[in-house]
Amino acid sequence: MDDMRLAEKAVNAAETKIAARNVQVYYGDSHAIKDVDIDIADRTVTAFIGPSGCGKSTFLRCLNRMNDTIPICRVEGDILLDGEDIYDKRVDPVQLRARIGMVFQKPNPFPKSIYENVAYGPKIHGLARNKAELDGIVESSLRKAALWNEAKDRLSEPGTGLSGGQQQRLCIARAIATSPEVLLMDEPCSALDPIATAQVEELIDELRGQFSVVIVTHSMQQAARVSQRTAFFHLGNLVEFGETGQIFTNPRDPRTESYITGRIG
Amino acid sequence: MTDATVSIPRPARQGSSLFKPDGRVKRRNSAETRFRAYGMTAIVIALMALVWLLYSIFSAGLPAFRQTFVTMPVMLDPAVLDKNGNRDPAELVKVTTVGYSKVLDASFVAAVEAAGIDTGGLTPKDIAGLLSEESAATLRGRVLADPALIGQTIEFTALAGGRIDGYYKGRVTMGSATLDSNVKPEQLMLADALRERGILTQSFNMGFLTMPDASDKRPEAAGLGVAIVGSFYMMIVVLVLSLPIGVAASIYLEEFAPKNRLTDIIEVNIANLAAVPSIVYGILGLAVFINIGGLPQSAPIVGGLVLTLMTLPRIIIPTRAALNAVPPSIRDAALGVGASKLQSVFHHVLPLAMPGILTGMIIGLAQALGETAPLLLIGMVAFVRDFPDALPGGLFDPAAALPVQVYNWTQRGDPGFVERASGAIIVLLAFLLIMNAVAIYLRRKFERRW
Repeated sequence: MDDMRLAEKAVNAAETKIAARNVQVYYGDSHAIKDVDIDIADRTVTAFIGPSGCGKSTFLRCLNRMNDTIPICRVEGDILLDGEDIYDKRVDPVQLRARIGMVFQKPNPFPKSIYENVAYGPKIHGLARNKAELDGIVESSLRKAALWNEAKDRLSEPGTGLSGGQQQRLCIARAIATSPEVLLMDEPCSALDPIATAQVEELIDELRGQFSVVIVTHSMQQAARVSQRTAFFHLGNLVEFGETGQIFTNPRDPRTESYITGRIG
Repeated sequence: MTDATVSIPRPARQGSSLFKPDGRVKRRNSAETRFRAYGMTAIVIALMALVWLLYSIFSAGLPAFRQTFVTMPVMLDPAVLDKNGNRDPAELVKVTTVGYSKVLDASFVAAVEAAGIDTGGLTPKDIAGLLSEESAATLRGRVLADPALIGQTIEFTALAGGRIDGYYKGRVTMGSATLDSNVKPEQLMLADALRERGILTQSFNMGFLTMPDASDKRPEAAGLGVAIVGSFYMMIVVLVLSLPIGVAASIYLEEFAPKNRLTDIIEVNIANLAAVPSIVYGILGLAVFINIGGLPQSAPIVGGLVLTLMTLPRIIIPTRAALNAVPPSIRDAALGVGASKLQSVFHHVLPLAMPGILTGMIIGLAQALGETAPLLLIGMVAFVRDFPDALPGGLFDPAAALPVQVYNWTQRGDPGFVERASGAIIVLLAFLLIMNAVAIYLRRKFERRW
């Protein structure tokens, strides 16, 4: 199939970070994700697009086992992080989530100070030996999230007092403070205004230098702007996956073409 | 689009002017006006009931906080109190209140004579009748605590008798005294004369809060001391047991337990337990803790255990509601940075649920404090004069409880106890008010926005 050939090309282009093979997800009796095979490359932004309810968020949440919290959710198939199956019995999801960070749709800072928000992850994972190191992690995380200049004088103020865009960048800072290898973003800009969205998109582009970023988005323009690879999901199937430019200019599957031209969605 | 050509018929309106309301609008508006009137009426009725309740309690109960006392010099005659003159405590104890009563009565008669009051043919026994029978026991207690007082003349403040006290609170009048075998009008006149000379005075009744209960004939000496200590001990037992058990059960059920048939059954039964009549818990406590467990009757430990059983579901339900009200995004956020389930609960969910948990806890405790029925069955209604020991041993000593003391006093014959019962209700209400104020304060203090 064409999909398989594209995936092979991806492996050649950059080192594969996450490889999914034959992934099935069930919510009780309903089959939410069907036969998904995908290779997510390191230091690349991969966008998941598709109409509402197509399973892109569900698949994203499989990648760091956030679906474990939903009792009726069942995942089959293999998802390999650097060649290790993350659904293996020996894997502790807590350790996994330290390596695969996540940013959610709605900004959800803890109702604590800005400093505490960023320092929480490093604290529980024991990444800092002393206060000075922790301060360093907080500062570099906030700098990477482009929030340092706005927040440096108000680190002890509650994170919930920031504006929506700032809150989302705080959540990104919190996610990168644990030095993850992959950053999952579930529609990170859907609750933000255009200016905040532009800031976050710029940030995503910068983060690409260090992390593998996977972003779920409803906005095709956003996918086109920030990603190098794009995957199109429809009704639980991965329809097409390839270079972003190719997906948007020369889709191989008629369903992809219908979606990006606005006929299905 | 072709849809534009499809014409939707306009509704026919009666009047074209916006200034003129049509019939339907008028009817809707008047329905709203009527509903507002019903609501206001309901609130006015509720407020009136509350005002009437408070008025009746306070008008009947406030006099309990004032008491009539007689102050006089008392000559502690060694010839009566210590015949052998060796101040041996073992011998002093043998002198009963009868002996002290003699000394006290003689001193009082002497004080009346010294004040130059015409006693109008009252016998010395009648004059001494102005004093409470409790006074001799108070005097004895003071002398036994300090035997060196024997032989001296001390200033002693004695309780006036219940009828004399009642005379100054409007319960006894000259008219009722002529019909009463317990008091003579001449005694009341003597009391008035003593009052003019400052020997008989009224002041704040500290003893109402510190003294133990007294027998049927001595309402003037009855206090809430033992009941307050007993209630306090029970609340400590309830707090120490139900806070950890209730919160742990709630956290487990809400955050960790699998959602299956068994947890559904447990959930329904917790709700059912909250609705079980409290007296059933009393029967349970009697059967389990006293008959099987062999714990003593009337002891705060048993009362506390029974009230814990009763309070647990009433704490679990609001605690679970508070945990459930914490937005799931906070849990996601914590899990997303790699916190374990336990860390997400204790670092993030629990602090946010704290105001709700504390409020539920304190309201549960307040309900337990006011609960009467189960305590009746485990013997807390017994007449207890001795204070329980200090904690923790005191938990096993007999004690009373505030609401049971109210119930107990309303059963007594002497009209003096009506005032005492209402006074005890005021004390109980004050404690409940303080607890609710603490609940509101904690709520405000811990409340955080997200």
